[in-house]
Amino acid sequence: MEAIEREVTVPAPSDEVWRAVTQADEVSVWFGAEVELDPRPGGRGVFRWADGTQRHVLVEEVEPGRKLAFRWLPFQRIASGDIATVPSSRVEITLDEVPGGTRIRVVERPAFAGEAQAPSAGRELAALRS
Amino acid sequence: MKRARADAVFAALADPTRRQVIRALSQQGAATATGLAAALPVTRQAVTKHLSALADAGLVTATRRGREKVYQISPQPLTAAVSWMADLGARWDERLAALRDHVASTRGKR
Repeated sequence: MEAIEREVTVPAPSDEVWRAVTQADEVSVWFGAEVELDPRPGGRGVFRWADGTQRHVLVEEVEPGRKLAFRWLPFQRIASGDIATVPSSRVEITLDEVPGGTRIRVVERPAFAGEAQAPSAGRELAALRS
Repeated sequence: MKRARADAVFAALADPTRRQVIRALSQQGAATATGLAAALPVTRQAVTKHLSALADAGLVTATRRGREKVYQISPQPLTAAVSWMADLGARWDERLAALRDHVASTRGKR
């Protein structure tokens, strides 16, 4: 149970897929949440689900057209408005051009303690509590 | 509460020595800190400290036997952590299917 790994190949060039996985309005279409995302290293993101759940991410790595890595911060606002702690995890989305399209590979790995604290998660936590 | 527990479980298992303690405990079934220390390259004091952290996360339970505590693995939190991972996998299956549909439907429309 170290990590979740998934792969899917889509019949489109990688630049189109890259937009679909990094542009907030496009991510909102397929992710299952309303998404705000600043897809740059150090950029922030907010994911809001229809049930009222809200989670924040910190973008850690960006190789344009190829790789996006972000970290879910270790707390969420749940429907009641309370703040709950949740496992932090790191998501890596990698694109590779393959015959017939683009292969999308997703790896989500729970962060273990020590690496779980994002450097400035306090900002998001304060925003959630306000 | 399942999520909060998965969080504590992952944190407790972050430490490689604690993972060794869990492994040794699962091999021995029920064991004392002294018994575990004999099987591991760490002191009894260190084992006791790790057992205490594992107990805080609900991963082990302790029962007193005479002057020593006997530790056992408590499977439920591990099951909760595995189930959290399974949920995560199922969500990505849905998202990637939706992403594929989204990319297919917007092809050539940009």
